[in-house]
Amino acid sequence: MALLEVTDLEVEFPLGRTTLQAIHGLSFKIDKGERVGIVGESGAGKSVAAFSILNLIAKPGRISAGTVFFEDTNLADLSPEDMQKIRGNRISMIFQDPMMTLNPVLTIGTQMVECLHAHRDISNEDAKRIAIEKLREVKIPSPEERFDNYPHQLSGGMRQRVVIAIALITEPGIIIADEPTTALDVTIQAEILALMLDLCRNHGVALILITHDLAVVSQVTQRIVVMYAGRVVEQGPTRDIITDARHPYTHGLIKALPQQNNAGARLNQIKGSMPTLDSIPKGCAFNPRCEFADGQCAESEPELRQVNNRLVACHHAETVSAHYAVEAK
Amino acid sequence: MAENGKPILHVEDVYKTFKIGDDGWLEGGATYVHAINGVKLDIRKGESFCLVGESGCGKSTLARTVMGLEDPTSGTIRYDGVRIDDLGDRERLPYRRRMQMIFQNPYASLNPRMKVIQALEEPLRFHHPDLSDAEVLDKVHAVMESVGNDPKWCERFPHEFSGGQRQRISIARALMVDPEFVVADEPISALDVSIQAQVLNVMMDAQEKHHLTYLFITHDLSVVEHFGTRVGVMYLGVLCELADTRSLFANPRHPYTQGLLAAIPKMDGSELSFTKMEGEVPTAMNLPSGCVFHTRCPLAQDRCRSESPELRDVKGHKVACHFAE
Repeated sequence: MALLEVTDLEVEFPLGRTTLQAIHGLSFKIDKGERVGIVGESGAGKSVAAFSILNLIAKPGRISAGTVFFEDTNLADLSPEDMQKIRGNRISMIFQDPMMTLNPVLTIGTQMVECLHAHRDISNEDAKRIAIEKLREVKIPSPEERFDNYPHQLSGGMRQRVVIAIALITEPGIIIADEPTTALDVTIQAEILALMLDLCRNHGVALILITHDLAVVSQVTQRIVVMYAGRVVEQGPTRDIITDARHPYTHGLIKALPQQNNAGARLNQIKGSMPTLDSIPKGCAFNPRCEFADGQCAESEPELRQVNNRLVACHHAETVSAHYAVEAK
Repeated sequence: MAENGKPILHVEDVYKTFKIGDDGWLEGGATYVHAINGVKLDIRKGESFCLVGESGCGKSTLARTVMGLEDPTSGTIRYDGVRIDDLGDRERLPYRRRMQMIFQNPYASLNPRMKVIQALEEPLRFHHPDLSDAEVLDKVHAVMESVGNDPKWCERFPHEFSGGQRQRISIARALMVDPEFVVADEPISALDVSIQAQVLNVMMDAQEKHHLTYLFITHDLSVVEHFGTRVGVMYLGVLCELADTRSLFANPRHPYTQGLLAAIPKMDGSELSFTKMEGEVPTAMNLPSGCVFHTRCPLAQDRCRSESPELRDVKGHKVACHFAE
């Protein structure tokens, strides 16, 4: 049985007389120790998806349908009190900007110990010992001294390490990382990603990595979920999707990257831009920007279906992939 | 163009230091941020010169100094043979027209209370006060079309546009006064992948159409590989390597460049590679002695700690390292 199983999840935000649907039928599962990437551009709904797993959707937004099963519990209809026992304990989250995540007026030690006290019946000495152990694990030099530092005394990369240490401190089953390296420089990004990969392997922790950076996802995860306008458009093994995308949107996204093109040549671009939630077109949400769109695409919304070893939501997945195969030659 | 390849911008031993605090008895003494430390480079006409480095390496400060938004603490900047860093406002004016800048965040660089047409007209009317209204309007429409914008957008306000559209409006604004030299400071960093491609294409088209020379500042190395003619790599205010793009990516000579290139996430299905570089960038307030990179360099030796390396020629690259061979 999967560790986390999200089925037909729908998230909506009432706006005046209308309702905006931010997530439309999201389904995916993640096994123990597995690393899954959720990719898409801004507004695709990847962060909302992560928040909905933790039941953190801000009111008046709500989960209107679907289930989120984690270790035999449906998180979607848990009471706030019961949810608190899981959130930050069995499922941890790492956010983009470590300066915003850490409390600037408390030492990092206080914040780490606080997290342990919230979830365990534990003495101060034990809590401190565990916290220092975790700081050592995320490779912070002289952790005993750093324990008493305030966030502003640490560099950006060090702060993100502290945040990772806090996420790990309760030995969670899953870590959800929302753009964990976007605010960091490339060299620091490489170190943090290597660290996260190591920790996931050593602790058997599952990772949900949310990012817009396909290169990052391709190096860290085993499976990818590609989102567009609140929907899953493609889902499958990372390597297969990166080398041989079947959905026109995934393909366009990969082909738009400079490293996939000849230096100096024009870049392949996807025409137009992602629709806002109040103007999602009828039929396939991607059809106005798609080069393969026809009457069927404008009328009926494609179901996510099995094509070879992955799931694709496209009426023309077979013809599209044949087309790309020819193009590649 | 016949004169392509001739140096158009010449930066000679530029230093820029910012003072923080004051020497007064209450302030406890001033400290100095050494943002740029003796940068020397030429930018040739018609090329896309890329400046890369991590945050805090002084790449944006160098761009702002070139544009005259900051005065260099010492050193000279020449444009087309004329020294421009010590010019007064009035003498500087023609160069402000010939050199334009595109900024990183299109949400902050367009005035939210100005219609697109007002934003575009303003530089043109300022530099060419003798133009008639009809001429100005023609020019606005021509430039908007040349960057792929619908001229109908003119009557709308910036908040009505997406990030990519706004950045194209910023590019149009820079092109309004027919510049020769455009400084683009992280123009695509705030944009989504598919939109980045659009904006880069617009910039490449504009370069061809208007014979522009670019100084392109970015931290995204894959964009540099695609876009740049030559690349300068900066670290703590020092230029540590300068070479043709292809050659730099094929054979990086400076240990910092090597570490930087190894850190780029790749899509070739390879596993994450561990960087050889340890630690983080030291602060520019206390520069390391000798070579600024020695605190993180895997090859550092005693000589690096005491003697700072000059930029010298190594197999077609300019490299500031004692042990580049």
